[in-house]
Amino acid sequence: MTYPDPDDPAHPARPSVRPFLQFGPQSAGGYRPTPPGDTPPADEQATTLRPFVITSGRTDGADPEIGMETQVTINPAATPVRLSPEMRAIVALCGEPLSVAEISARLRLHLGVTRILVGDLRAAGQLDVHVLDNETPDPETIMRVIRGLRSIT
Amino acid sequence: MDFDQSPDRIVGTARVGSGGLPKKAPVPVKIIVAGGFGVGKTTTVGAISEISPLTTEAEMTSASVGIDDPGPASMKTTTTIAMDFGVLTIDQTLKLYIFGTPGQSRFAFMWDDLIKGALGALVVVDTARIDDCYPAVDYFERAGLPFVVGVNTFNGQMNYNLEEVRWALAIRDDVPVLSFDARFKASVRDALLVVLDQALDKAIRAKST
Repeated sequence: MTYPDPDDPAHPARPSVRPFLQFGPQSAGGYRPTPPGDTPPADEQATTLRPFVITSGRTDGADPEIGMETQVTINPAATPVRLSPEMRAIVALCGEPLSVAEISARLRLHLGVTRILVGDLRAAGQLDVHVLDNETPDPETIMRVIRGLRSIT
Repeated sequence: MDFDQSPDRIVGTARVGSGGLPKKAPVPVKIIVAGGFGVGKTTTVGAISEISPLTTEAEMTSASVGIDDPGPASMKTTTTIAMDFGVLTIDQTLKLYIFGTPGQSRFAFMWDDLIKGALGALVVVDTARIDDCYPAVDYFERAGLPFVVGVNTFNGQMNYNLEEVRWALAIRDDVPVLSFDARFKASVRDALLVVLDQALDKAIRAKST
């Protein structure tokens, strides 16, 4: 379920997905917590599974080191293994460095679920999670952000 | 992990070169944009972000207002909320994330996860509903996160001037109160620069002590 923010502009239609593949009120099967038509299909999660099914029942235990902005990349030395569809989708996205929040948004996976799965993939050696050494931002970094922001028009 | 050592990927029978310089993961920094419903957080994020704002769902633990300083056995509930965010690439090694957090005026937030490592926050205020931003102001004050109050001037309209807003919020003198227009990139940029200025002050103070 999503809770739309009223100042959120209308979701653009998901591009380049064949209509019959799109999840909507017409699709059969799956658990549906709300009656069809209650919410627009574009706002539905891409999966009909409840989040805790994807995480094998875990609802917490996400690594506190893994924040929303934490960068994730594939581990080039990873050995191929069988992964769940959600995990495969995460690995497929991380060819370029990507933040946990972006992974969550692009896959329409709950942020908490994404953090748990990223932690699992890190433990399995499939992903590199770039945890920062010092959490408190240093003046030099802030100065760089200020200079970068000033230069945009 | 050293990406320079990574060999070409093998896909099927094809050898996919890494294509010039391998990408190193940039250092992420973040700024929080907070405020009540409908004050223009998403507009703010969208105006400055280089991508159209993305939405993620997250859990937030909230404690009911009216129960001051909840003890360990307090009435905490967990709510799922939608969070908008945008990205701004400063350079190849530095990325700025702007997270817009929903304001539910009747809840005080436990944003510990969100503000961990954040540079600072911009609290967006609509002068027609000033009290919507109280939870955010309360939270950032208590957490010691540098923040700036930004009055969103919808079409240049403001029901109160900035001094009146400062008085209503009862914030310290060193917290900047400014007006900006969430629809315009330059205006949002200037508001974020004030946030960064506060963040820089704090970082320099922290370093010297």
